[in-house]
Amino acid sequence: MAMKPLNAPAAGSDFVFGDDFLRKLERLELLARKIFRGLLRGEHTTSRRGRGLEFSDFRHYRPGDDFRHIDWNIYSRLDQLFLKLHASEEDVTLHLIVDASASMSFGEPSKFDHARRLAAALAYIALHNLDRVGVSAFAEGLGAALPPIKARHHMARLLTFLGDLPCAGRTRFDTALRAFATRTRNPGLVILISDLLGAEEAQDGIEALRRGGHDVVVIHLLAESEIDPPLDGALRMVDGETGNELDVTVDQELRRLYQHRLERHLQEVESFCRRRGVEYLRASTAIAFEDVVLKYLRQGAHLR
Amino acid sequence: MIQLAYPLALLSLLAIPLVLALHLLRPRRRRVVMSTTTLWQAALRDRERGRGLRRLLRNFSLLLLLASALVLGLALAGPEWLTRTSEGADTVLVLDVSASMKTRSGIGTTRFDLALAAAADIVDGLPRAGRMLVMTSGRKALLRTGFEADRGALRRVLTQLRPGDEVGRPREALALALSLLRSREHGRIYFLTDGAFDPDVDPGSPQVVFRVVGGPARNVAITRFDFRQEFARDDRFQVLMTVRNYTDAPAVVPASVSLDDRVLFRRSLELAARDEQTLVLPFTGRAFGQAVGRIDVADDLAADNQAFAALNADDPLRVLLFTRGNFYLESVLEALPNLELVKRDWSPAEDIARLARSHDVVVFDGVAAPRLPPGNFLLVNTVAPGLPFFDAGRVAQQDIPGRGASALMRDVDLTAVRIDEARRVVINDPGPGLQRLFWSKDSDLALALLDDDLKLVYLGFDLARSNFPLQAAFPLFFSQSLAWLRPRGDGFVSTHIAAGSNYSIQVPASEKRVIVRMPSGDTETLAVKGGSVRFAATADAGIYRYTVGEAARYFAVTLTDARESDVNSRWAPGERREEIRPANNGAQALVPLWPHLLVLALMLLALEWFVWTRSRNNV
Repeated sequence: MAMKPLNAPAAGSDFVFGDDFLRKLERLELLARKIFRGLLRGEHTTSRRGRGLEFSDFRHYRPGDDFRHIDWNIYSRLDQLFLKLHASEEDVTLHLIVDASASMSFGEPSKFDHARRLAAALAYIALHNLDRVGVSAFAEGLGAALPPIKARHHMARLLTFLGDLPCAGRTRFDTALRAFATRTRNPGLVILISDLLGAEEAQDGIEALRRGGHDVVVIHLLAESEIDPPLDGALRMVDGETGNELDVTVDQELRRLYQHRLERHLQEVESFCRRRGVEYLRASTAIAFEDVVLKYLRQGAHLR
Repeated sequence: MIQLAYPLALLSLLAIPLVLALHLLRPRRRRVVMSTTTLWQAALRDRERGRGLRRLLRNFSLLLLLASALVLGLALAGPEWLTRTSEGADTVLVLDVSASMKTRSGIGTTRFDLALAAAADIVDGLPRAGRMLVMTSGRKALLRTGFEADRGALRRVLTQLRPGDEVGRPREALALALSLLRSREHGRIYFLTDGAFDPDVDPGSPQVVFRVVGGPARNVAITRFDFRQEFARDDRFQVLMTVRNYTDAPAVVPASVSLDDRVLFRRSLELAARDEQTLVLPFTGRAFGQAVGRIDVADDLAADNQAFAALNADDPLRVLLFTRGNFYLESVLEALPNLELVKRDWSPAEDIARLARSHDVVVFDGVAAPRLPPGNFLLVNTVAPGLPFFDAGRVAQQDIPGRGASALMRDVDLTAVRIDEARRVVINDPGPGLQRLFWSKDSDLALALLDDDLKLVYLGFDLARSNFPLQAAFPLFFSQSLAWLRPRGDGFVSTHIAAGSNYSIQVPASEKRVIVRMPSGDTETLAVKGGSVRFAATADAGIYRYTVGEAARYFAVTLTDARESDVNSRWAPGERREEIRPANNGAQALVPLWPHLLVLALMLLALEWFVWTRSRNNV
């Protein structure tokens, strides 16, 4: 099914989602369509149990449960109250959470721009598959949020929202993601796009999402200059988020130690995700966003 | 408690802003904004693992520089730590070297020998870290060492000391010693003396410990010795001598006075106990030479058994006059007392330098004077080349409206002086040594010049063409000019100075050095500047001789002091000893802290260098 041509987003988002981006997005949608060929609406069930038609399991009645789901046949035979459970067949809601802290402005192009393009592409594909898509940004806390939308004609609104997002402040994963998990009524698929600087807090935040019933995907985005920093000599490094200064004389040995530390950090985050059943995808600003999306679709296929 | 010896040196702490400025001028780092510095910090920690010192490097360098400046400033202020120490405080040893210390005390021993032995004991008993300063008390208080901890050096100094024939002034010595121990509450002064001074010498300070050496002694002494000329009698003189018996028994004392080798008289004096006799004896003849008074008595102090005087010790003033004949000038020179005049015709072939050395004053009167060598000169109606003024012709009918304030012009009245004709001189170099004596409206008429080795008086007119010789001012002017050119005694002079006093030796301006032969036979060479030199080594009584050019001169040094010859102790320590605290019990000492601070500053600077180097290379 072909989509109508995408409406242009508001002017404020032009620098992120220009014509070139939109053309790439439409090509990406065509490719995604092949990947999702054969998948129909309503076919994808979730592990969440709910009000669908297909029987899933029984459990003991607890005060507050809906009386309508009590299996009276069992009650008449066993004189005990049991609830009949069914697998949910609701539409999947895709929650895109974009890190909008100051550290994301680093890199050329910036990680933030790259993250917004990734989010836009994933939202576009999801809407194509009739899923609901919401977008939230966070930094020190949970920031601006676009409530889940389903209609494709809202894509321009989504692009405008992304284009107008500010990028500032310190990252508080724990606070922001806990807030998201608390506020979101419909658990769904959460794709977190972040540089994950501040690994321990990030792990707490991801854990909070999982406890909120979300399926979590982490796209760990780094700038190329973070992976291989082109620095040398006597420098006063200023932390973009905290403003802390660090006097450093960078030489080959220190660059090697830095990269070793970065690798350990990446492995630590990935290992955590694997242990928790969280999909983990590492990306760089040097890789085109459409390549990242396709790679993600091929390996994860969460978007059915 | 810490004191500052030089509090003003704290101003050097103003250098601290300079250190700050230098620090700020160091190369700055390039600022780079990063997404996070966390990983870099971790990388640095990886590199610095085991090298924890580097964490301190940031700004540590500046702190070290500031600390160095602070410590150096404090060091310059000379802080001293007043601390209580069991090692004892500084000690001042004052040795009495007055004449009475020569008093015999036992067979072959003097009081000074006993004092030296006591001094050696004190040096041996100094606490381990104690320091001692040695000084002597005679007519003057002299420091012989600084505060010295080296026992060997102190003993060597002690062996070189000996008493003189001086009158002691212990009060001054003790005042100086107390000032040396100012602010050192527990410093100790040992005064080794025979106690032959008045009780009021005691300053009453608990820091002063009197160690009295010697016991009672017998002494008869000459206490006055002098000569004088009888009134209006050029050939009659009187000698005055007082002899005193300080013993409690009567004594018969043979006394004599001699002048050079001539015995003027001998007398036998019968002195009751504690009695004195004064002799005034006239004699006739010439009174020149070295006079010695003696008493022949076997007492315990021999130094005051003779006395000395120098009579008319100055030779006659030898004046060389080059003139074609000048009645007035020759008359006034011959009229001046004790002057030996030699008159010659001037010839350019004369060796003027040699003549200037062998005469006290050379006079050029109306003859063409040559370029003048070092010496004393009087120019009358002539100008020599090479002077700071030159002859510029003649001026007529001059009176004298102006006169200077020079000592040569004292009481010289020129109001009636008229001059028919004078030389006109122009001053081309008005240096500080040139004095204007008097002048007319057209020219200077008299000048005085004092150069390094040249003294000169210039009179710029022919005496015969003025009425100056007819004025009372005329002989006065020449007398004062000659006295200024060659200072000397006036008339009969009997000279002697007290042992330990300074004597001013006057010599011609051309002399560069004087060799003085002392009574002991030792000689001392003195450098002369400006025609006089001060001689201070007069501790021994006797005749001191010195040579000026070809002339031998002398002066006398004598003791003759009634109080110094009273050699029995007049001061009793009494109960004062009870107030004196033991030297090694709780003494306080001022410990100078600047060497420690200097070392600390150097260490801080070295550390700063190390830190800065490490910081540049590794962080």
